[in-house]
Amino acid sequence: MKWIHRCLIPAACSLLLSGCWSQKELNDLAIISAMGIDLKEGGGYTATLQIINPANVAGGLQGGGAGTNAPPVSIYTAEGDNIVATNRQATQKLPRIRYYAHTNLLVVSEELARKEGIELILDAIERDAEFRMTSVLVIAQGTTAGELVKVLTPVDKIPANKVIKNLRFAEQQRGEHVTMNVQDIIKDLTAEGKEPVIAGFIIEGDPKEGVALENTHQTEPPARIGLGSLGLFREGKLVDWAEGSAARGTVWILDKLKGTNISIDWEDKQDAVVYEVIRQNTKVTAKLKQGKPAINIQVQAEGNIGETRVQLQLDDPKVLLKLEKAFEKEIEAELITAVEQAQKAKSDVFGFGESIHRSYPEEWKKLKAEWHDAQFPELKVDVTVEAFIRRTGLRNNPHKRN
Amino acid sequence: MEKAKISAYQLFVMIVLFELGSAVLVPIASGAKQDAWIAILVGMAGGFLLFGAHYRLYRYYPEITPIQYMQKLLGKFFGKLLAFSYIVLFMYFAARVLRDFGEMLLTFAYVETPLFIVNAMLIMVVVYAVIKGIEVLARTGELFFLLLYLLAVIGFILIVSSGLIELTQLMPVLEEGWGRVLKVVATETISVPFGEAVVFSMILPYLDNKDSGLGAGMFGLFVAGINLSIVMAINISVQGVEILTRSQFPLLTTVQSIQMAEFLERLDVFFMVSVIIGIFFKVSLYFYAAVSGTAILFNIKEPSRLVYPLGLVVLFMSITIASSYSEHIKEGLGLMAKTLQPFFLVLVPVFLLGIAYLKNRKKQA
Amino acid sequence: MPSFFKSKKRKARKRNNQHSQPPEFCQVIHPSLADQLDYIRNKTGSSTDIVIRKASFDEKLGIRTAIVYVEGISDKKTINDFLIESIIKNRELHEKHPKRDPFDILLDEVVALGDVAVHHQWDSIFQSLMAGDTVILIDGFSKALSASTRGGEQRSIEEPGSQVTVRGPRDGFTESIGTNIALIRRRIQNPDLWNEMMKIGTVTKTDVAIVYIKGIAKDEIVDEIRSRLKRIEIDSILESGYIEQLTEEHVLTTFPTYYHTERPDMVAGNLLEGRVAIIVNGTPFVLIAPALFIQFFQSVEDYYGRADIATALRFLRILIFFISIIAPASYIAGTTFHQEMIPTRLLIAIAAQRETVPFPAFVEALIMEVAFEILREAGVRMPRAVGSAISIVGALVIGQAAVQAGIVSPAMVIVVAITAIANFATPSFTVAISARLIRFAFMLAAATFGFYGIILGLVMLTVHLTSLRSFGVPYLAPIAPVIPSNIGDTLVRMPMWAQKKRPKLVASDRNETRVGDNQKPKPDESRGMKRTSEKNGGQT
Repeated sequence: MKWIHRCLIPAACSLLLSGCWSQKELNDLAIISAMGIDLKEGGGYTATLQIINPANVAGGLQGGGAGTNAPPVSIYTAEGDNIVATNRQATQKLPRIRYYAHTNLLVVSEELARKEGIELILDAIERDAEFRMTSVLVIAQGTTAGELVKVLTPVDKIPANKVIKNLRFAEQQRGEHVTMNVQDIIKDLTAEGKEPVIAGFIIEGDPKEGVALENTHQTEPPARIGLGSLGLFREGKLVDWAEGSAARGTVWILDKLKGTNISIDWEDKQDAVVYEVIRQNTKVTAKLKQGKPAINIQVQAEGNIGETRVQLQLDDPKVLLKLEKAFEKEIEAELITAVEQAQKAKSDVFGFGESIHRSYPEEWKKLKAEWHDAQFPELKVDVTVEAFIRRTGLRNNPHKRN
Repeated sequence: MEKAKISAYQLFVMIVLFELGSAVLVPIASGAKQDAWIAILVGMAGGFLLFGAHYRLYRYYPEITPIQYMQKLLGKFFGKLLAFSYIVLFMYFAARVLRDFGEMLLTFAYVETPLFIVNAMLIMVVVYAVIKGIEVLARTGELFFLLLYLLAVIGFILIVSSGLIELTQLMPVLEEGWGRVLKVVATETISVPFGEAVVFSMILPYLDNKDSGLGAGMFGLFVAGINLSIVMAINISVQGVEILTRSQFPLLTTVQSIQMAEFLERLDVFFMVSVIIGIFFKVSLYFYAAVSGTAILFNIKEPSRLVYPLGLVVLFMSITIASSYSEHIKEGLGLMAKTLQPFFLVLVPVFLLGIAYLKNRKKQA
Repeated sequence: MPSFFKSKKRKARKRNNQHSQPPEFCQVIHPSLADQLDYIRNKTGSSTDIVIRKASFDEKLGIRTAIVYVEGISDKKTINDFLIESIIKNRELHEKHPKRDPFDILLDEVVALGDVAVHHQWDSIFQSLMAGDTVILIDGFSKALSASTRGGEQRSIEEPGSQVTVRGPRDGFTESIGTNIALIRRRIQNPDLWNEMMKIGTVTKTDVAIVYIKGIAKDEIVDEIRSRLKRIEIDSILESGYIEQLTEEHVLTTFPTYYHTERPDMVAGNLLEGRVAIIVNGTPFVLIAPALFIQFFQSVEDYYGRADIATALRFLRILIFFISIIAPASYIAGTTFHQEMIPTRLLIAIAAQRETVPFPAFVEALIMEVAFEILREAGVRMPRAVGSAISIVGALVIGQAAVQAGIVSPAMVIVVAITAIANFATPSFTVAISARLIRFAFMLAAATFGFYGIILGLVMLTVHLTSLRSFGVPYLAPIAPVIPSNIGDTLVRMPMWAQKKRPKLVASDRNETRVGDNQKPKPDESRGMKRTSEKNGGQT
């Protein structure tokens, strides 16, 4: 038996040495930070790949000098009939292996989202082992995905990171947008009685200026990426944009609001008191009323007073109670605006259908077929809001003004 | 049989690792949709009964393996035939598990690597372990058990703290009644993974304390069942039923969803470690049963001589049993689930127990 | 057929053995003193360190004696004071009692030393002579007297260089077996501390002692060690490493199955756990068997300091061991296979550093690791004065210049440095050195299969470790197999009062308990909330 042992060790070694199938050297990788997808004229897609130039991003010994003279990312575009073909076509120009594992941002143009819908492009991404389901997807609002991906940004050198961080912090502090990754979107698209909402990004200024490195060398860049509205979808297609309070109402109903500011009118003065929400909890429950489905939304919000523009006795709990009532009304109005807009767009982005499905699986079977066209737009929605003012900041009453 | 003794704790550990082995990797009971976790728990109850049957048989013949008592119960010819078919079955199962694993690696990380190479590497480690014998395997199990649970606890904390779990995804419970669940139990979970514990009837005779076998085995199945059920429930609540039923490797999808502090993300390797440990154990135990069974059946004095040729057989079997992953999975759910598994993992043990009971009752009378 | 050859060989060896001892060596001692001295001169080739001092014992009868000793290994002062002087002073003793046997008078009354023996054969005379004893020959007797005068220049007891501790005794073993046994005996003052001496090595005749505590050590293990030592047939034992290599159970492994130490407190501690020590003359390194894997991550200081801190340190050491094995391999796997698992920003930083590196990651890592091994080897062998030059060359050339030239990436230098420090921090040198070797295998596995290779390697390593045994005890005990009563002294170090039992697989089961019941220290009962409130309750 000894001879087998003796043969096995060289065999194992040769196996080891002949390996290296899936090996990719770091120097051979084109790390793609963002991918933009547009519709090509005459069918097919155009993909815009934002590739990181590591030496121009990282500081330290090697990158030091070059960092300021060369752009941190390079753009490659490619065309094809489907997503895989488009991306493979990019290799015609790329001297490296495309590497998607760090593609944290996926941009889809508004045109594509409206005309063809996002369902078809997601399959390749979901199937691919490299591509991450946690990549964030956004819509290029009023522009093409290619343009959006090309714009260079100050502060955050990699534009894809800037977009994601922008979205995440705006979500935390303003609450008019939701960060949606590919997995969330597929979950919503495939769920019965739920549609996704996806944030839109816009370019302020001239997109042509955005591609030059000079864009980042100015205190006020001529081209700037900023958050747009919240896109409402139906059957995978973008149908409407929700803005301002409607957008915030939508986020609120989705129970994804992390913090925001609400202002109310007080004694004939507009936007006189500002309420900073620091915590909220929203519950959506489905009910059957005489065989008809109805939705009940309960909101509990907690927060502080952030600003006052009128004289108020804030050290008086009774005043606070009055204020709370006013905030409750304001929030309720926002939620109702959001529901009305979604109902008009026939897009159940709140997942009301899903809650009915969970609570009344039998009834749902009957409602399912005509949910979007007939049932959802007519759905009765009750909103109850409870707002609590916990603190008023470092001062109680505002200082005297004349 | 080799000269070895294992403790009840070691048996418990091996059962847990074996049951978790490939079951955490591939989608089990996904036919039951969001009730998959219930189907696993019900299957576990069935697994208890089957393990009880193996244990009763072991108590009737505490010194010998099934290979030998099958001959006592069914006569020389039929006994040997049945024993031989079990050996082939063990090897087939080993090959299937190996294939599951190879496919997983090729799909998510080693796309360009040939399946043969990936499988060959693992079977080499398995061969090395099986040559060392059951005691070494059991002790290795004790170590890996700790490691696996450490990983599981860390993974669980990460998943919970990154806020991925939406328990509403598990609703509505039993949407289509018990029918769908029980169908899945009957065709899937009772035999795979719980009925697969038949392999431990080959290992029970090594126990140093005969009475502790039942408790250790049952507890092992219980722990494994609960864990599988929790894993499945987490998978469903993280991904939703729709993605889950389309996932080739649901746990991988769950692990990939973890995003914490911009640093703890893309933890595929985490997943790979736990899967390799589980798969290594499952293949090793099946393979060990096949090797020691062959040695007993054909009276071969030095079982380690068999390890290399049989290892090659398992390796080639794992490559040739299916041409695509879909075919491989369909085979598992079709032919296997409908004929082989119920017959060999459920019916035969019960039948053998019946004969043993009758024979021994006669003897006592 | 092969068996036939084997048996023939064995017979041949037996015959050789008989021939190996020349017949004249066993010869009975010739009664004439002149012949005796001639024989000694012949046998030793008139070596200059053999000193022969002649003296007459009874001048009237002309009984002549000769004192023979080897200079350097015997204590000259003892020989002068208690042998030569005593013989010369007591010349008239025999004259007073002429009827008595002069040999007996010498033995009983003249030689003023403790350890005296009578020899009838040359080989035993030479054995004791070469060990440092003094031989006294008397004309007309075919036997000789030997007195123990072993001594000479020896290294004094110093602090051991290989296992330094902050807290703990400062004495270390020396090259002398007698001193070493005494150091242990001083710590365990108990008649049950037994030692058995044997001579191994056909040429060197080295003293080897088995030391154990009767009743605590397992008899089977002591017997096994004894029989393995008896089986040794070799010309020389120059260090305890010879014994280690000749009596190991597993040859194909890089892991040690003997523990070796220079510290008497460590040996004492291990003897009390039921282990057996093997002391070899001529080396301060004492072997301890059976050795378990976990022992190599423990330090004596763990037992002297607080339990919680010792536990934390032991976890650190296991971490260190893993780092020193897989850190470079993980770097290779991470940068060539699993770029997805590196956080994006870190990946960009590493990628930027690697842009100019002309080698694949594996080659880069290999170059750096080999370069470091060379540096370390140079540092170990160099005279102390040149040592600093090496560190300058190493730091400047490899750390600075290579990075600035863009030949290696700074990240790789960091990895190599961490690996090296981790390796230095491993408490046991033998395990550290085997980790050094295994590391290269892991690098190869990582270069071909990435983390899959590393994990398979770790599985294989674990199977290998669990398959090892040291004198029948599984190497990974008490973790695999789990022995609940011993788990308190593995990765965790429970406080002394909580470690009640000796290691089960090592120590004899007749004497398991170490610590009495209720040894947990408690605060003074008169303090604390509970007591006061009770008192108050009683008063009101």
